[in-house]
Amino acid sequence: MNDFLIILIKTCVIYGCLIGAAALMTLAERKFSAWMQLRYGPNRVGPWGLLQPLADGVKFIFKEELCPDGANPWIFRLAPILSAVPAMLTVAVIPFAGDVNLFGVDCGNLSITDLDIGVLFLVAIGGLSVYGVILGGWASNSKYSLLGGLRASAQMISYELSLILIILCVVAMTGSLDLRAITEAQNTGNPLSWNVFSQPLAFVIFVIATFAETNRHPFDFAECEPELVAGFHTEYSSMKFALFFLGEYCAMIVMACLTTTLFLGGYSVPFWEDAPWFVELGSFCAKAGFFAFLFIWVRWTLPRFRFDQLMHLGWKVFLPLALANLLVTGAVISLA
Amino acid sequence: MVDLLFYVAALVAVLTAVGVVLARNPVVSVVSLLSCFGSLAVIYLLAGFQFLAAIQILVYGGAIMVLFLFVVMLLNLGGLNPEDEDRDDPLFHDRRRSAGGLAVAVALGSASLIGILRGARHLAEPTNGLVPPEEGFDALPALAEAMFTRYSLPFEAASVLLLATTVGVMVLAKRQRSIPPAGEERS
Repeated sequence: MNDFLIILIKTCVIYGCLIGAAALMTLAERKFSAWMQLRYGPNRVGPWGLLQPLADGVKFIFKEELCPDGANPWIFRLAPILSAVPAMLTVAVIPFAGDVNLFGVDCGNLSITDLDIGVLFLVAIGGLSVYGVILGGWASNSKYSLLGGLRASAQMISYELSLILIILCVVAMTGSLDLRAITEAQNTGNPLSWNVFSQPLAFVIFVIATFAETNRHPFDFAECEPELVAGFHTEYSSMKFALFFLGEYCAMIVMACLTTTLFLGGYSVPFWEDAPWFVELGSFCAKAGFFAFLFIWVRWTLPRFRFDQLMHLGWKVFLPLALANLLVTGAVISLA
Repeated sequence: MVDLLFYVAALVAVLTAVGVVLARNPVVSVVSLLSCFGSLAVIYLLAGFQFLAAIQILVYGGAIMVLFLFVVMLLNLGGLNPEDEDRDDPLFHDRRRSAGGLAVAVALGSASLIGILRGARHLAEPTNGLVPPEEGFDALPALAEAMFTRYSLPFEAASVLLLATTVGVMVLAKRQRSIPPAGEERS
């Protein structure tokens, strides 16, 4: 019973933090973009506009729900759920810190679960989020939505290949599909043992591919306002739109956490091998926070690609490079 | 708790499988098939096959169903109504062909049934019940061995079934009403 309680509390805390972080990230997005463009950004609701996400949430709830004519109502409702749920599920296998000891109670490792096949779970469930986009685009019964959905799914499938190949390189180096084992292999107290130094090319490809995978700028062809109004969620309003929004930001946070875990040693602290759990958690949050910031930074700095350039980059540059990287990794491992 | 989860997953799997066949809208069929695969993955997970469950979601849920969805959407099969279009189709009226198809279906079905019954009898023995695997039990080699030795007949039957489905889809998709006489232009 006690174990069950601990798992329940951990799940609630981690999911609460995830949704809170997603809400804060929408605020951060607006604040950073404002600073980069010499504006103030939201500053009316609460100090520094901190309560703005809450106000937005209330506003979303009170908006009118619309379902377009000729749309399939069930699939129209299903799509936002299919977009948000997989993105939130994947956080279950991310290891945030080592053994937690709270007020003398041993709570186990700070993650919802440590699956033996954590990486596979993450890839499999993460791959389902494409349905939210494609079904949302189809069910809206609108040409802009359909085009946006088709584009987004084509893009996600293309970049998922490179992404999985790169993950495979890291898995081959560690010899485990468990994200905690991958972290522990890098947690030697020496930052040079982080995978980013042994796999620099893989790291660069992975970070760029995560931008495409989460449909973020400069690869946000799913939305692409000048061409497609708002892409697959053109027809969505109220909380259904908010769910798409939540899914997008959760996916970004999970991707930031995954990049940290795979390449920056996860929760390992430089030059301190046996750090207490809160230091490890702080280290993890700092690294993941940087990648989350990178998503925002790039969005307000770079212009959007063209769709054919995106496909060219995915299939003719990243895929061969990722394959070559895997080949070299395998050769080095078998020779060493 | 595990039993309850199993019954829920099994019920969802059967209901969605029926939904795949009965749904008028092909996209709804695809979504039901997706949920069917999802509940199958839950059943695999309950049986202790984590790897198989993840592969089920990754390969069937993530890859094959996306392909299906693309095909269904791009071919725009939404307005197809089988009742009034297939009524004149000779495929459904030729007695000999129907009998042949029925015979193959019965053969494959009984082969699968034998496999299921043998599996059930195997599980009913007290030493082979549904027990959670021990710590460190590597399920993959055991699975491969079972599939290619003890259950090779249902396995082969399933592969023939898949082949037959592929051929059937080709025939149905071409929708050739009758073979035109030589020299006459095909419509």
